Amino acid sequence: MSDWLIGLEAIADPLVLLLIVCGVSIGIVVGALPGISATVGVAILLPFTFALEPIQGTMLLLGIYGGAVYAGSIPAILVRAPGTPASAASVDDGNALARQGQADQALKVSVLGSTLGGIIGVILLALLAPVLASFALGFGPAAYFMLALLALTVVAAVSEGRMLKGLISGALGLAIALIGLDTIQGFPRLTGGSPELASGIDYIPVMIGLFAVAEAFLQFENRLGISLKAKGQRFSPGLGWLKKLAPSAILGSVIGFIIGVIPGTGGDIGSFVAYNEAKRAARKDRRNFGHGDIRGLVSAESAKNAGTAGALAPTLTLGIPGDVTSAVLIGAITVHGLQPGPALFDGSPDLVYGIFIGFLVVYLVLLLLGWFGSGLWARMIERVPATYLWPTGIVLAVLGSYSLRSNLFDVMVMLIAAVLGYVMIKGGFPLAPLIIGMILGPIAEEGFRLAMILEGDLSWVLQPLPLVLLLMTVASAGFALRRELRSTAS
Amino acid sequence: MSVHHPDLHRRVLAGTSLALGAALIITACSGPDQQSVQAEEGFPSRSIDVVVPFAPGGSADGTTRQLVAEAEEACGTSFVIRNETGGAGSVGFRSALDSTPDGYTLGTAAIEMSILEHFGIVDILPERDVQGIIQYSEQPVAIAVPADSPLETFEDLQTSENDRMTVATSGTGSIYHLGFEGMALVAGLEDRLVNAPFDGTASALQAAMGGQTDAVTAGAAELRPFVESGDLRALAVFGDPVDYFPEEVPTLEELGYDWDSTAVLGIYAPAGTPDEHVEFLSDCLDEARQSESFSEYMETTGLNQVHRDAQEFDAFLDEEYDRYGEVVREIGLVE
Repeated sequence: MSDWLIGLEAIADPLVLLLIVCGVSIGIVVGALPGISATVGVAILLPFTFALEPIQGTMLLLGIYGGAVYAGSIPAILVRAPGTPASAASVDDGNALARQGQADQALKVSVLGSTLGGIIGVILLALLAPVLASFALGFGPAAYFMLALLALTVVAAVSEGRMLKGLISGALGLAIALIGLDTIQGFPRLTGGSPELASGIDYIPVMIGLFAVAEAFLQFENRLGISLKAKGQRFSPGLGWLKKLAPSAILGSVIGFIIGVIPGTGGDIGSFVAYNEAKRAARKDRRNFGHGDIRGLVSAESAKNAGTAGALAPTLTLGIPGDVTSAVLIGAITVHGLQPGPALFDGSPDLVYGIFIGFLVVYLVLLLLGWFGSGLWARMIERVPATYLWPTGIVLAVLGSYSLRSNLFDVMVMLIAAVLGYVMIKGGFPLAPLIIGMILGPIAEEGFRLAMILEGDLSWVLQPLPLVLLLMTVASAGFALRRELRSTAS
Repeated sequence: MSVHHPDLHRRVLAGTSLALGAALIITACSGPDQQSVQAEEGFPSRSIDVVVPFAPGGSADGTTRQLVAEAEEACGTSFVIRNETGGAGSVGFRSALDSTPDGYTLGTAAIEMSILEHFGIVDILPERDVQGIIQYSEQPVAIAVPADSPLETFEDLQTSENDRMTVATSGTGSIYHLGFEGMALVAGLEDRLVNAPFDGTASALQAAMGGQTDAVTAGAAELRPFVESGDLRALAVFGDPVDYFPEEVPTLEELGYDWDSTAVLGIYAPAGTPDEHVEFLSDCLDEARQSESFSEYMETTGLNQVHRDAQEFDAFLDEEYDRYGEVVREIGLVE
């Protein structure tokens, strides 16, 4: 218990609290801008932290991290343009709510879900940190492959009722992910000799084009038709509302946390997997999922922020980063001569327990800023006439995809994806499976091929962890198939 | 020295419309008539761009930012850092090398400049395209095994009954992979050790500590925390000894093998940059390198400071290009 007191003492410093508020505010801004992710925000401010005490610098960066991962959903809900990939799962339900005039409610669900996910995640992290280290280490290539397969079954959930088109969209994503350097043998694949294609097609510009810009195209087309935006309604929450959200939020938090712990996967797929499970848990009552169900939204939201806490588990206990952002965090800690790992828990309890308590404070600050901000953002968007809103969105999309790695090629990828997205929407193809395919394809391929190199044969399929994941995959695919057959039969 | 690349045109044809536009501008800037750029009186008269080919937060990015911050005074101008990432560094290398060789665009050098061409990933010949300016860091590659491994010494790799051992590396074509392959060739281990190319050094370390592979090769500085904590046991260093490993860890030279492999960090310019500018930059960056705060930064991040001046660094990159070319051919990675 004394470790917790040492941690509390480290956080109860006006400067630390000020840095947390600054961090969360910066995070909300960078997260809401498409293409500028938490990683970029954290990396830019990293040198600044060298001059601070370790706990001060870490809290500034964690504030940005939590804020940015939350805020990616603000544009996802308001204009169908996810600011970060982790928010892609929030587009369907969040934006559907906004169109029904419920933008205020959707944003409040988002901030509540993100906060709850973050808090549950941090608590799980603090309680389970030592156990999580061995879980993360035991996760070999075979398990990565099986996890990617399991996550691919999510495609079924986001394309219910149009399964074939969803599968085509997902296969297209997998095909795009094949372009670039073959990771095992190192030769360029499907690049046509172009050095730009050799580095592969990044899924962030594709996501920006597919969601944000394709939507802008559609809005131009509808310019003279009926306005899709209903009059905005203010929203005040009640107890029944919270009761309805709680189960999905808790489920989402736990799933998001577990997937976040596994190094290298992070919140990007955690939110989709959580959405899938929340939908399945809703049983008969899931007709509204994808058309503005607050349970779907809250599950995705809580999962992505629980993932931020999960990603810290291997970072702190092993010194192995859970995602790119936590890799930068390791830099912020090591520059002070401290080494993340088991020794950090004994040697610097003020830092470790300070991080636990401070990350909780980050989410409390986020709740305050996000809750009172939500009405403001909803009103701002409603006041901007559509003729200005969507062109501004396209400009931001161009800037965002360029700033990702200062590469004009990414802008072109974004524009091609926009045209593709427009055609897909017109043809009734769901967009999310394409992004899911692009994210999971490389994880699955690398996992499979490395497992074959390590074992020399297919015996890895029968190892405990891969086998459990395989059975879950079969079950998940089976459920989806049965559901689809029933709905076509009825 | 010519800065005109004949097959740039071929790529332009294969490229897309935007790439076409960009490439035309590049060709116009470094066209065939322009053998080299005239030295400018009073250089530098404006800010200098530095292209970092890797993501923010890594050692290449961090050391470059720290170095140029110190160099503003010594070089008498400001520096603007651009991270252009992708293709194991090839995107950023290409971008800096295709710029006008006037001393106003530099890049962060990594040993991958001498490796990537062998895989046909990008057309960079250090001798033809690159003008080294300064090397400021160098660290040897090393091989380690998990703490509970039956392998106690480097010789155990050769005598172990297990004749198929997997070695986690940070990816095919990376310095840690080729350093490992070069070692395997001279030590007669090429049939016993199998490359398991993971996605980056962190994943490779994770795999070795989790017992998924028999060993791991990585930079000595990256192995250091895990060797110190007892999670990994270093078996050999592929270069000069490092003081933070236990004394009994031998170098390949001490074991009687003629192979060394090091990851370097430095600054380069496109070939054709006027000698006066190269010399000026090499001197003022060296002054920044020797500053107290840069040395302190390097020490806390665990990176060795090893200096080479413009000529030495230039020659080093050429030699490494030939050495790794031989390894790539011998292990049959490319035809």
